[in-house]
Amino acid sequence: MRTDVDAVVADIGRGMVPAFVYSDPDLFELEKERLFGRSWVFLAHESEIPDPGDYVVRRVVDDSFIVVRDEAGVVRVHFNMCLHRGMQVCRAELGNASHFRCSYHGWSYRNDGTLAGLPFHGDAYGGDDGLRRGDQRLLSPAVETYDGLIFVNLGGDPPPVVDWLGEFTFYLDLYAHQSEAGLEVRGPQRWRVNANWKIGCENFVGDMYHTPYTHQSVVDIGLFREPKAHKRKEGVLYFAGKGGGTTYKLPPGDFRSRLTYVGYPDEMIDRMDETWSPAQRKLVDGDGFMVSAATAFPNLSFVHNWPQIDEDGTVVPFISIRQWQPVSPTETEVLSWFAVDRLAPESFKAASYKAYLMCFGSSGMFEQDDVENWVSITAVSRGTMARRLLLNSRMGLGADGQPQADPLPAFAGPGTARVGFGEFNQRAWLGLWAGAISS
Amino acid sequence: MRRSLPFTDERHQRAHHFLVEEAAALDGHDFDGWLSLLTDDIRYRVPVRVTTTRATDPDRHSTMDHLDENRYSLTKRVARLATDHAWTEDPRSRIRHLVTNVRTFPAGVDGELEVESALLLFRSRGDTRPPELICAQRQDRLRQVGEELLLAERVVHVDEAVLRTQNLAIFL
Repeated sequence: MRTDVDAVVADIGRGMVPAFVYSDPDLFELEKERLFGRSWVFLAHESEIPDPGDYVVRRVVDDSFIVVRDEAGVVRVHFNMCLHRGMQVCRAELGNASHFRCSYHGWSYRNDGTLAGLPFHGDAYGGDDGLRRGDQRLLSPAVETYDGLIFVNLGGDPPPVVDWLGEFTFYLDLYAHQSEAGLEVRGPQRWRVNANWKIGCENFVGDMYHTPYTHQSVVDIGLFREPKAHKRKEGVLYFAGKGGGTTYKLPPGDFRSRLTYVGYPDEMIDRMDETWSPAQRKLVDGDGFMVSAATAFPNLSFVHNWPQIDEDGTVVPFISIRQWQPVSPTETEVLSWFAVDRLAPESFKAASYKAYLMCFGSSGMFEQDDVENWVSITAVSRGTMARRLLLNSRMGLGADGQPQADPLPAFAGPGTARVGFGEFNQRAWLGLWAGAISS
Repeated sequence: MRRSLPFTDERHQRAHHFLVEEAAALDGHDFDGWLSLLTDDIRYRVPVRVTTTRATDPDRHSTMDHLDENRYSLTKRVARLATDHAWTEDPRSRIRHLVTNVRTFPAGVDGELEVESALLLFRSRGDTRPPELICAQRQDRLRQVGEELLLAERVVHVDEAVLRTQNLAIFL
């Protein structure tokens, strides 16, 4: 291995990011083995597979998994590789099936993963003497859900996902638990970009600084009223447990008026009022912050914005879930879902979907310019000079390495919260990354 | 199989001519000109394609789109590209809409035509990146408005489940 991992970790520890981390093949191998091989990784949302037999096929880097609801209603995740000769037993991307049959020799598996049958069991194997049919099932990783989000962990003996996420769940609920019914999702849109997967994670976890410049065009055309610099720097950056995110400071008001400001109808506000904890409500009510972009380590991000969707000035919020799925050191498949509370009025769901399509995803007017930047960074990080360049990611630190301002002493949410621009969250996320690849 | 109008039919020739003129507007980055080719009630959709078994109806799963636009949102997209801050198209992509396999059908509605075509869109950016291709089928509804044919509806069925282009800052 050419790359000195200890040196990379040390540089990152002082907020200087070696530019080559965005394309280095050695680090990518470590990420596959030590990071994606051991972390809780998001695969799908339960609402994608509402009925018995419903399935979607998803990956964790190179591993293919069938995420399926079995006949008993249990969410299962099966490694998509036949026990016999290794063929993928499911070659569609979604559908409904009671069984998955291998197209090579015809072994078939029930949707709970157990082997149902194989051709010529008696003639070929001498029956159970050669192969005990009842003992066979597709491999499975550890599977757990939180707020309907289905996670897998490919490592041995992982902690519960709720402990892994830690206090980030407080913020995750604001996106994914607006009522007891939880989210329903549409999608994902899928597209491949020639960018390293970490760049999107870092951007969503805390880059409020890019918003006024990268996304100036959406302010120019009146799509979103918030990103102007003077608004963005009033937001809070928070980091708690395995995740962090950005917020906007809302105009003066209370819980209801502020949620009305971002476009939620009364009945949805009523349900948030009933569902959220006092501290979660206080984040909006007393503190006056509204969550925007966020990332849960390693590669699951969220966004919540409230654009204007018609000439009448209608402002509607939307939620998107997205995953930065590594393909190679320099290529990422982006999966982007539209998400909305299941109990929301149908008219709201339609308007919120429109808001999503205008702003984020494969055609979103925000996202278009983000990806242009990230492709460019990745391309130029591959060369000789990039191995000499340490990218300055020290915003918010003084020359002595200490924060220039203290965290907010009183903030409704857990973790550390700071007002204004700063790269505290990117450093925290990269700290988790460095810890994962170096141990 | 539905039979299209003969190529000698004037309705087909007008529809084909429309598609070629439209492609010239898009390839020439004349987006205001392109908007003038759309009806006020334009519906412009690019559904997400998914891979399913033959026994599964893929349309049952097409609840997601890459784009689902009306005149307002298309106008905003064009306005954004005209700002000085639409970085993804400055420098511009070099694009070419190759429109072929055009089939024209009389529509159920008076003054309207249904037109199917195949689209191969070439997109080149910068000087180091490989070019990107999008292959798709278009299903269009053209409407006679005064002397002109205008696009009233387009559904673009892209031929990839995972798009190999950095974004859809371009129109298909």
